Amino acid sequence: MYAKKACELVKEFSSSEPGQLAPFNTNLFSQVIEECNFHFHQLQSLLSKIQEGPDSQTKNADHFGALIHHLSLVRNKRCLMAYVHNRAEVIRSLGWMIEPPLPEEIQEKLSSSEKEYSKNQSATIKSYQSEMDLDLAVDMVPPKDPYIKVRVLDDIGSVALSDQIANLARHAILFLRRTDAETYISQGLMEELTD
Amino acid sequence: MSQYYDIDDIIAEDELVPAVFQVSANGVGLFDSSDETNKVEQGSKVELPFWLARELHLRQAVSINLPHCFNQKTREELAADAAHVDLRNRCPYFYELGRKLFTLVGDKTIGTLLLAAFQTRYREVLIKAQTAALAVAPKFLTLLTKEETKLYEAAQSSMVAFKKWRMGGPRFQKASVLGRKRRPFE
Repeated sequence: MYAKKACELVKEFSSSEPGQLAPFNTNLFSQVIEECNFHFHQLQSLLSKIQEGPDSQTKNADHFGALIHHLSLVRNKRCLMAYVHNRAEVIRSLGWMIEPPLPEEIQEKLSSSEKEYSKNQSATIKSYQSEMDLDLAVDMVPPKDPYIKVRVLDDIGSVALSDQIANLARHAILFLRRTDAETYISQGLMEELTD
Repeated sequence: MSQYYDIDDIIAEDELVPAVFQVSANGVGLFDSSDETNKVEQGSKVELPFWLARELHLRQAVSINLPHCFNQKTREELAADAAHVDLRNRCPYFYELGRKLFTLVGDKTIGTLLLAAFQTRYREVLIKAQTAALAVAPKFLTLLTKEETKLYEAAQSSMVAFKKWRMGGPRFQKASVLGRKRRPFE
């Protein structure tokens, strides 16, 4: 059936966890592109047949055949666009949550153009931030308390923070200023303890 | 109403709809793999995905019939006890498809059918979301359409948020006047 594969692609995206990425399905994607090419050739041959025909104005069987191929092309396009678009949205939101560059596990799920996209996106944010002298990644969720309870996940050593000098040894649980802790959390060196 | 990039809208439009060709079309033999002629004859009955059926219907090329999830048997079951009909098995996008078909087929009863079904099932979804233990829920969840599953999850997460709000934090603060000792009467 026409555009079945394209819909499979969309279904695959829909069945993955929201906010997470499955590996880019290059295989199926190129199969859909191939199907598009097939429709395009069929459409062209039918169109030239219509033009050569005696009366190109009346709607005959060729006309409806061409119409079906045209609609299939449009449908395939919509499925492909939706797949790429929705993945790009996920990548964009990941870019805000995780300190760039994206970790290896996520990188290998992206297609090459998606990697380019995520790289350009973080570069754009960075240049905007340095231009405005403003850190947009601070306090993505409005804080209730300036201090939060964190557990240190790695040996970091003594660090001078904005209000104290803390010994960030592994497994230590301490109260830190949210702004100090946030950079470590996004690097995966600490985790926030919530009760 | 429906966005170009909307994943659910795309999948909903992939549901098959029985249609009869009013014209013949050349070069589209794929509908029937045994067909050698590479042609669809006038009057042939095929199951088309909705996105194709709609466009062809608008151009008077096919006539659409209602898919089996709107047949008499389903209607009777929905009228008997809408909350326990397995709609996901019949059509995971029951409401969306019904709404799209309604404008094409001109069957006035679809609207009331959808509304009645949704009202009963919505009530059940909310009750289950707030009361059912997590272990019971999966069996019930398999009956729901995609949209109802989303409603169920939303209801559950707001229930959790409400409980957290009610339990968390010092809810009852003593007014500062209450702590004071009564001033000795002079």
